[in-house]
Amino acid sequence: MYGVAATAAMLLFAGGVQAQSSRYLDFDDLSDELRTLVNGSPNASMRSIGRSLEGREIWVVEVANTAGNPLTERPGVLVVGNLAGDHLVGSQLALETIRFLLNDPTAESVLSDQVVYVIPRLNPDGAEAMFAAVKYDRKGNAFSYDDDNDGRFDEDPGEDLNGDGMITLMRVPDPSGDFMVDPDDPRLMKRADKAEGETGTHTLYIEGVDSDGDGSLNEDGAGGVDLNRNFQHEYPYYQADAGLHMVSEPESRGLMDFVVANRHIGAVLTFGHSDNLVTAPDSRGQLADPSVSDLSAFAGEANSDIYQNGVFSGGNRGGGFGGFGGGFGRGGQIGARGAPLRGAQPGRDNDPQSGRRPAVTVNTQDLEYFSAVSEAYKEITGITEIGVNRKAEGAFFQVAYYQMGIPAFTTQGWGLPVAESDDETSGDEQAEAEEPAADESEAQEFRAGRGGRAGRGGARGGAQGSGDDGGFDTKLIGAMDAAGIEAFVEWSSYDHPEFGTVEIGGFMPYVTTNPPAEQLPELGRKHGEFVVRLAGMLPRVNIVSTEVTAHGGGVFTVTAEIENSGYFPTSLQHGVVSRSVQPTTVRIEVEPEAILTGDAKSSTVQRLDGSGSRAKFSWVIQGNTGQSVEIWVRSQKGGTDTATVTLR
Amino acid sequence: MTTNIFGRNVLGFALAAVMLSMAAPAAEAQQRGSDPEHTLDMTWDRWLDHDEIGERMKLMECTWPQFLDLQSIGTSYGGREMWLMTINNPATGPEAGKAAMMIEANVHGNEIQGAEVTLYTIWYLMENYGRIDGITRLVDERVFYILPTVNPDGRDYFLDEHGSGARTGHVPVDSDGDGAFDEDGPNDINGNGLIEQIRKFTPGEGTHRVSALDPRIMERVPPGEVGDWVLLGSEGVDDDGDGRVNEDPVGGYDPNRNYASDWQPNYIQGGSMNYPFELPEARAINDFQMAHPNIAGFQSFHNSGGMLLRGPGAAWQGRYPQSDIRVYDEIGEFGERMLPYYNYLVIWQGLYTVHGGSIDWTNDGLGIVSFSNELWNGGQYFNSPLLQRQQEDPRDPTNGQRSRYFFDDFLEFGDEYVEWAPFDHPQFGEVELGGWKKLSGRVNPRFMSMELFHRNMAFTLYHAESMPLMSMGETTVERVDGDVYRVRVDITNERLIPTITARALENNVVRPDLITVDGDVEIIAVGWVADKNRPGPTQLIDQAELDRIMVRSGHPGRTTKTIEYLVRGRGDMTVTYSSLKGGTVSATVQVR
Repeated sequence: MYGVAATAAMLLFAGGVQAQSSRYLDFDDLSDELRTLVNGSPNASMRSIGRSLEGREIWVVEVANTAGNPLTERPGVLVVGNLAGDHLVGSQLALETIRFLLNDPTAESVLSDQVVYVIPRLNPDGAEAMFAAVKYDRKGNAFSYDDDNDGRFDEDPGEDLNGDGMITLMRVPDPSGDFMVDPDDPRLMKRADKAEGETGTHTLYIEGVDSDGDGSLNEDGAGGVDLNRNFQHEYPYYQADAGLHMVSEPESRGLMDFVVANRHIGAVLTFGHSDNLVTAPDSRGQLADPSVSDLSAFAGEANSDIYQNGVFSGGNRGGGFGGFGGGFGRGGQIGARGAPLRGAQPGRDNDPQSGRRPAVTVNTQDLEYFSAVSEAYKEITGITEIGVNRKAEGAFFQVAYYQMGIPAFTTQGWGLPVAESDDETSGDEQAEAEEPAADESEAQEFRAGRGGRAGRGGARGGAQGSGDDGGFDTKLIGAMDAAGIEAFVEWSSYDHPEFGTVEIGGFMPYVTTNPPAEQLPELGRKHGEFVVRLAGMLPRVNIVSTEVTAHGGGVFTVTAEIENSGYFPTSLQHGVVSRSVQPTTVRIEVEPEAILTGDAKSSTVQRLDGSGSRAKFSWVIQGNTGQSVEIWVRSQKGGTDTATVTLR
Repeated sequence: MTTNIFGRNVLGFALAAVMLSMAAPAAEAQQRGSDPEHTLDMTWDRWLDHDEIGERMKLMECTWPQFLDLQSIGTSYGGREMWLMTINNPATGPEAGKAAMMIEANVHGNEIQGAEVTLYTIWYLMENYGRIDGITRLVDERVFYILPTVNPDGRDYFLDEHGSGARTGHVPVDSDGDGAFDEDGPNDINGNGLIEQIRKFTPGEGTHRVSALDPRIMERVPPGEVGDWVLLGSEGVDDDGDGRVNEDPVGGYDPNRNYASDWQPNYIQGGSMNYPFELPEARAINDFQMAHPNIAGFQSFHNSGGMLLRGPGAAWQGRYPQSDIRVYDEIGEFGERMLPYYNYLVIWQGLYTVHGGSIDWTNDGLGIVSFSNELWNGGQYFNSPLLQRQQEDPRDPTNGQRSRYFFDDFLEFGDEYVEWAPFDHPQFGEVELGGWKKLSGRVNPRFMSMELFHRNMAFTLYHAESMPLMSMGETTVERVDGDVYRVRVDITNERLIPTITARALENNVVRPDLITVDGDVEIIAVGWVADKNRPGPTQLIDQAELDRIMVRSGHPGRTTKTIEYLVRGRGDMTVTYSSLKGGTVSATVQVR
């Protein structure tokens, strides 16, 4: 049984470990579960970073053993889930990550030396829709947005016409439609290939009626801003689901303010509809091409022209009547002249051909880290094939890397069953992936029967899933069939008030983006394990040796060597390029006048590689024999350390 | 009855209110000589700090309560109120039904004089309402939202403290990346109340030398030569003992790079902060603007250089749609005629590239026709052809760099310059402090304020005049057959700016105009008449709700369009054109 309807079974007890949750949790249950975890451990606390529009708290759980260095001087990991309202699996895996960290012995050093911040559900208002009587893939928060810009808000949502508790799709016979039933699988639709003599027979719509009588169907439902499209990197300007502007929502602002205030966060993991873990950025630093469901894309086309309705050409052509005349008095002369190009000089920043652009691909010097983390992820989780993969526009993990210089990762958190490997399905990315031990991965239990054809698109080609060679849906439905997941509402006819006889059917809400609930405990444990591995890669900077040489006359040379024993460098190269990660600073605590020569009182190293890389600093100072001198090092993402030397 | 304000402490707000209550019929000012007496005499020859601005605004609100409404739209980081004055004549309708002109100033802390321009604008409109027909009509037709200072923290830091060159607001930023915030800014080390420049005598090793023409001029020596002086920046010491002077002053960002159109991270656009509208001041303004979609015109005053700027701020944003450019060009070129020494320019072409600037957001994200004036051009010191010819003579004391000293000596009597004087600096040793005071250069001399205020106000009033203004014109009713009638209504936008700009249409950021019908008639069809004077087809409007036509493209400027309804039935029929930025107008016809 899928999802929320599953009974509240508590499974998998293990000596003293609290029960893992194998059902999807609404806000109250998730909050209770978090409280139980936090109250049951000295190593966790929770607070709110803000409230959603409907007043739900956005919890952050701080996981650390607070004995030792202050948390803000430790390397930190941030985990964020459920930014898109329908991606509840993210919040559940975040919850299980907390449980794992608090209970698994492998996490002890993470708790004592580092800190993990977990924000399980950034979008609690959107997530709540999964527990409503009628379900649809609600990604947005509770902001009321006039999607079709007609002056009315949320006035034409989809409706559950056939009363099955879900809003799916309608296929409507339409001689001028663009789509036809896929001859290979009558559940699916394909775009008619006119060059091949095919004729469109249908138009697709979201299930429902024209509530506002404007001639368009279901063009403005409730559910405003998809928070993972509301951030300020490659932001999709002026898209209905992306908000009025970047970081417009209280939930996204809360998250930004949190990361800005906690610059010691050295790695970010988010759960969402995009991916850079199963497929690491390629050699040019680009993410895998997106793949989206063809059926929902086709249905989206039904409303593609709503912004054209009401666009009229200019004033009265052939006018000349009325008191004000038509158009502008001076006609084309003005436009031809325009504002003069004063001051523009070729090659300067005011030259249209030049000007520095923000990076949109991973810096090649950073790629090895992304690859290594990806390998670790696949090794631990066994996930090698993912389902729907959305283009990362306005996604938070991208801001974390591109604007804050933090190694940042994202994953759907579960895998599609892997198709047979004897055809093209396994594409070049998969070929490189390690074969996970089959018995370790639940995903491996499933074998997709029909992956071959879709595999030509694969995860990379799916963006053109509407193409004529079998779309992404073929792969998706094949995987679901093979896994025995009930994911599709078979088309059945319905007497529609506006269209007459139509068919209602399509993918069930939530099912293609959230795994069956019984997989959650195991997936959660694996993601906990992954977070421990990721935390272990953070930079860790220490003073590893000091030396004092006396020259007589109260003159000494003090030398200190620092080492980064973590795997990540103290700053990724993009952190250096974007000037967003502070250099590691080494300071000798003497009066500035006491330094005769050598390094400056405060000296910096922009980027210290990991895996034992070292840097040495020397000061020639004036002092008294027997005097203690403190040396201090601070790495924004790699912690702080001090050492005291005695002048002798 | 006259109320005088001589300075901030002479007349408190409470006292003023009492005097005004005694002077209730103040509007009936006596004509004396050639000029009417002012209801409220205000002087315009000093720069006001934030408290003084608030006092003046309260006083004006008390003086003209029927038109003025003062509110705070938020507080700055430093806890100062962001005062905004609404000017509206409620007798001509509520605010939301009229196009509004929003005028703000002083987003950069050191660019102060725009605040006084906006105060002058409130005062001028009120003093002349009922006296000058054009002003009366403007106040009756339009709404004004006036925000004298966007950055009150920066303004007070500039005027009352040490921020002589600071654009920034006061949200703490760790400018030197040492983990401490704002710990080493300028200091008034000689205690004369000014932040001066530091120079050090380094014979044969310097980068500058004293000019032979005027010993006050520090010239950079040409390549290959050495000078006797080095310049060591603003007056200050190493507050945090890190060996550097003034490396982390208050703030440290650009408050006009924090808006949401083409916002870019710090390494692309310095000073942009972490995300758009992170700054409390920018957020308060955006919240206000989003809550007031009747704003159709926007001006943000800066200084200096003498420019009438429009977007886009960066070349990579491409050109505005041609119809929008025509509107901007007409207003901007008019402005060049109203404002000598000012040039109408596109920001990236004429100034420099700006990402995330305020007027890019208001144009692209809010559909508001927006300008930013850079107040004051140094050429205005010598503002006649005769003076300019004299300046061209290399021996003339107004030639080149000397002109500024000449002007200060003979027109400001040396008020803006501090002679260099020795000082024993804790880090630099024997140095000299001196140079230009903060008010010189970017801010006009006080005696030239009135002209600057008035001309720039006049430009914003012309901008306000250009905002869309809808009206209904001729109506006709013609019987077609039986109870079927043809009803035609002329709909006009009387002014230059369209109700919806082409960019607003592209971005879907302004609600479409709506043409609604009330009455007992049944609408059969609706269309635009191609040409009222010739028979021929109309452009049929293919929409599902004929009693609520959506006009996404809005109504073009200075244009009349005729809409035709084919209706069945008889009785009153009211056609209403509703535009967020052009107002709401109706016409009622009797169908029979």
